[in-house]
Amino acid sequence: MNSSLLTPSSSSSSPHHLQSPATFDHDDFLQNFFSSAPWPSSVLDDDAPPPTSDTAVPSFHHHDADSRNQITMIPLSHHNPNDAAVDVNALYSGFSAGSLPFHFPQGSGGGVMKQSHTQTQSQATASTTTGGTAATPQTKPKVRARRGQATDPHSIAERLRRERIAERMKSLQELVPNGNKTDKASMLDEIIDYVKFLQLQVKVLSMSRLGGAASVSSQVSEDAGGSQENTSGENQTAAKMTEHQVAKLMEEDMGSAMQYLQGKGLCLMPISLATTISTATCPSRNPLISAVREAGVSLSPNTATTPVVNVKGASVATVKDASSVSKP
Amino acid sequence: MASADKPINTDVPEKDVFALHFLQSLSNLRRQNTFNSPEKTNDRVKKIKKAAYVSMARAAGGTSRLWSRALLRRAAKETNKVVRFSRRKKRVTWLRRRSNRRDPVEEEEKEAERLRNLVPGGGAMETSKLIEETAYYIKCLSMQVKVMQCLVDGLSPK
Repeated sequence: MNSSLLTPSSSSSSPHHLQSPATFDHDDFLQNFFSSAPWPSSVLDDDAPPPTSDTAVPSFHHHDADSRNQITMIPLSHHNPNDAAVDVNALYSGFSAGSLPFHFPQGSGGGVMKQSHTQTQSQATASTTTGGTAATPQTKPKVRARRGQATDPHSIAERLRRERIAERMKSLQELVPNGNKTDKASMLDEIIDYVKFLQLQVKVLSMSRLGGAASVSSQVSEDAGGSQENTSGENQTAAKMTEHQVAKLMEEDMGSAMQYLQGKGLCLMPISLATTISTATCPSRNPLISAVREAGVSLSPNTATTPVVNVKGASVATVKDASSVSKP
Repeated sequence: MASADKPINTDVPEKDVFALHFLQSLSNLRRQNTFNSPEKTNDRVKKIKKAAYVSMARAAGGTSRLWSRALLRRAAKETNKVVRFSRRKKRVTWLRRRSNRRDPVEEEEKEAERLRNLVPGGGAMETSKLIEETAYYIKCLSMQVKVMQCLVDGLSPK
C-alpha cells in the first residue's frame, strides 16, 4: 500500500506541482493518505491530534514534537476526508502562501510518513500518559505525596499547616517549664497554665510593693474573712514578740501589719511553703497569693491564705515552678 | 499561606528597654495627683498593671507583633488616643475567619480558643501564628516579671 502511495509522488517529484492547483494525482494521493491503514484511527477523529497531513507537513519541515503550533498555518478544514478535494485546494493554497518547501521526494515520502506516524503515536502515548497521571490538569509541579495519601491540594495544605503547628509547638515546649510532655493536649494545657501564671505574677508584682501593701491586705480581709486571725499566728516564723505584735496589728488593720512585717523584711507564707523551703526541697505546689484568690482560683483548704510578700533574698519568681496555681 | 516554612522570629525582648519604658510610665503615674491616695488602691493597681503591659508592648517591638498591637490599642481606646496601625490587621482577621470556618470542630481549635482568650489580640490569628505569638508573649512576660521583681527588690526599704 505504501509503495502505491509512493509511486504517484515519485512520478511527480518536482515541487512545482504543488504550486499549481490540485491535480488528480494529488487528490488521489491525499485521499489514500487519509484512509490508509497504517495510520491510527484516531487520526481521523475530530478530537484526536491533528491528521497526518497537517502533522506531516510541519514535521517534515520542523521536526518538532509539538505540531499543534504550526497548524494555524493550514486551514483546519481537513476533518472530513470526503472533502479532501476542497481541503487539498486549501492546503495547497496554504502551502503556497507559506514558505514550506513541501515536496514529496521519493525517499523522503516514506520518511515523512514514518515521522508523522511516530509523531502521532508519540502524541497519542503522550496524551494517554497525561490522562493517566494524577487528575490535575495543571502544569505546575505538584508535591508528590507518599503512598496512601491523597494528592488533592486541600490535604496537602492541611498537612503543611499541621507541620507548621507542630514545629511551633516544639519551640514553645522549650520555653515552658515541664515541657517534656509528649501529648499535645497536655502540652497545650501546660502552656495555658503557664501563661496564666505569668500574668498572675505580673499582677501580684504590680500590687505588692509598687501598689502598696494596703491593697493586698484589703483584698485579703475581704476574701479570707475569719480565717486570717486563726492561721496567721501559726504562720509566723519570726520571734514571738514579732508574732504578737503582728497579731495585734492584724486585728486592727491589715495594712499596718503588712507594713510592719515589710519593715522587718519578713513575710507571711503558707505553712506548706515554709516547711518545704526549710527542708530545701522543691517548693510546694500551692503558692498562695492573695491575688490568687482574688483571681477566682480555688485553693486547697489546708494552707492558709496569706499574702506572700518578698522575703529577704527569696523572691516570688521562684514560685514559677509551681505552675498549678490556676486550675479553674 | 506560603508553602515554604517561614523562619520563626525569635527576637528576644530587651530587659533594659522594658525597664526604661516602665520606669518612665511609673514616674508619669506618680505625678498624677490622684495616684498617691491610699483609698483608691484598686485603681492604682490597675493603672500600674496597665502601665506595665503597655511598656512591655512598647519594648517588645511596638506594632510589629500582633498582641502588642492589641495591647496598645486597648490602652489607647481608654485614653482616646489615636494609634497608627498598619493595614495588615484586616487581612489577618480575614485569614482567621476563613480558617475558622474550615475546621471549627477540631479538638485543637477548642484548645486554641482558650489560648486565644489569654493572649491579647488572639482572636484575629490563625492557629500556627497564634502559637508563634504565644511563644513570644511568654518570653516577654517572663522578662517583665524578672524586671519588676528586680525593681521591687531594689526599691524596697530595708
